[in-house]
Amino acid sequence: MEALLLALVAFIGKCDLATGTNMIQRPIVLGPIVGLILGDLEMGITIGATLELAFLGSVSVGAFIPPNVIVGGVLGTAFAIVTGKGPEVAFTMAFPIALLALAIDNVIFSLVRPLMAKLADNYAAKGNGKAVSVIHMCTGFITCTVLAIITFLGFSLGSAQMEAIVNAIPEVITNGLTIATGLLPGIGFAMLLQMIMNKKVIPHFFLGFLLSAYLGIPVVGIALFGIVLIFLSIKFTKDETQVQEVAVDEDF
Amino acid sequence: MKTSNSITKKDLRKMFWRSLPMEFSWHYERQMHMGFEFMIEPALRKIYEGQPEKYKDALTRNLEFFNCTPHIAPFVGGITIAMEEMNAQQEDFDTASINAVKAALMGPLSGIGDSIMLGTLRVLAVGVGTSLAVQGNILGPILFLLIFNIPAFILRYVCSIKGYELGVNYLEKIQQSGLMSKFMLAASMLGVMVIGGMTNELVSVTTPLTIGGGENAPLLQDVINGIMPGLLPLCATGIYYYFLKKKVNVILLIVITAIFGIVCAQFGILG
Repeated sequence: MEALLLALVAFIGKCDLATGTNMIQRPIVLGPIVGLILGDLEMGITIGATLELAFLGSVSVGAFIPPNVIVGGVLGTAFAIVTGKGPEVAFTMAFPIALLALAIDNVIFSLVRPLMAKLADNYAAKGNGKAVSVIHMCTGFITCTVLAIITFLGFSLGSAQMEAIVNAIPEVITNGLTIATGLLPGIGFAMLLQMIMNKKVIPHFFLGFLLSAYLGIPVVGIALFGIVLIFLSIKFTKDETQVQEVAVDEDF
Repeated sequence: MKTSNSITKKDLRKMFWRSLPMEFSWHYERQMHMGFEFMIEPALRKIYEGQPEKYKDALTRNLEFFNCTPHIAPFVGGITIAMEEMNAQQEDFDTASINAVKAALMGPLSGIGDSIMLGTLRVLAVGVGTSLAVQGNILGPILFLLIFNIPAFILRYVCSIKGYELGVNYLEKIQQSGLMSKFMLAASMLGVMVIGGMTNELVSVTTPLTIGGGENAPLLQDVINGIMPGLLPLCATGIYYYFLKKKVNVILLIVITAIFGIVCAQFGILG
């Protein structure tokens, strides 16, 4: 029963991404709920806060996917309460579990979901926008379900078995998938380039790349350089009267 | 200029609600693209009513790569809708400029958005929330959610409405002054420049190989960095670009990438 409720918590936690990325997936929020289920709300709040600070860096920025704080947070909190060991052990339990769940995340994000996307492409080509929307939502809910199942199994197995499973995955597989996840955004950029690249702007691609590679200028800076470059290289003149007004409008 | 298909505030409000699951189907290859399509699909259907071919093209076009701080993504959605609307009303609209504008906006907006939402607002919420929660105070998690979400939702709503207004106003002005073709060129320049920068920032591949044997053998990666940092991500993207030009199936590329990654990990070529 408790395992089922915890699975539900993980499911709802992942729905964070369906309700506007409003941080309900964070340990500080899920911890108290886990505490409530296991009959120790106050401990849940405290452990949630501890894990929140420990996982502070585990937040997705750009294309970086952090260890899974949902499964890690829920099971870490649950094991810490059940074993009665409190906040101190919560993180040592939560972290390896979060890494294991990350490995599963990576399989979903790099293989399962791109396949769903291909399905969406087919429907788009047929002009069926509603089907694309359905695929989008299903893709999300499938992941919620997977996380709920892992949480359910994890709690049912108990902490000792969880650790053994985490250690059993061949390192080559996890490392290999990590390498692949670094490469995959390249496919996305290549697809995008295919659509907007033309002979006139090839140098601009390399300029953007080199500014980032050699000078370490962040993307915002590159865009600002790009805007200046545009004004240097394109004359926005049709008749003299309108120049000023239009030129200013350009940089939204 | 305006036709009966014009987008109303009600449509924009709908876009606001539909922007909520932006990250729900995120994946490595095209990231938030399905979320983006989900957000603007009702608007597209309205814009292209009676133009099934253009509607199909728009659906396909907006399934290209998209990634942005989710809370400000509706801003890009609004501008996209404004451009799509223009495309529906004109025969000679250059649709490539829509993706160029999206590409030019998503990078910088994410930079600003991530630093506001994750760098500032979240850290503030965590600071206040945990200081109370550590003592077992239930107000901690509640304040954490409120501090983050009230500004987040206001920002999202403003972005939903303003993006479209901005798009419509400026696009019409540009159109009337006959600068559209220059604007298209400018948009694609900015777009590819930003993609160039993102290629270096977001595609990550390094090698642990050494040159020759021995304890102090120089790292190949250091040599590469000495010549050109980011050379490997650039090559990887270039290779993908080449294969896509040759019409190689994307799924095949993804599967090969996964296998390639495991092989490289086994032999320590990359990592």
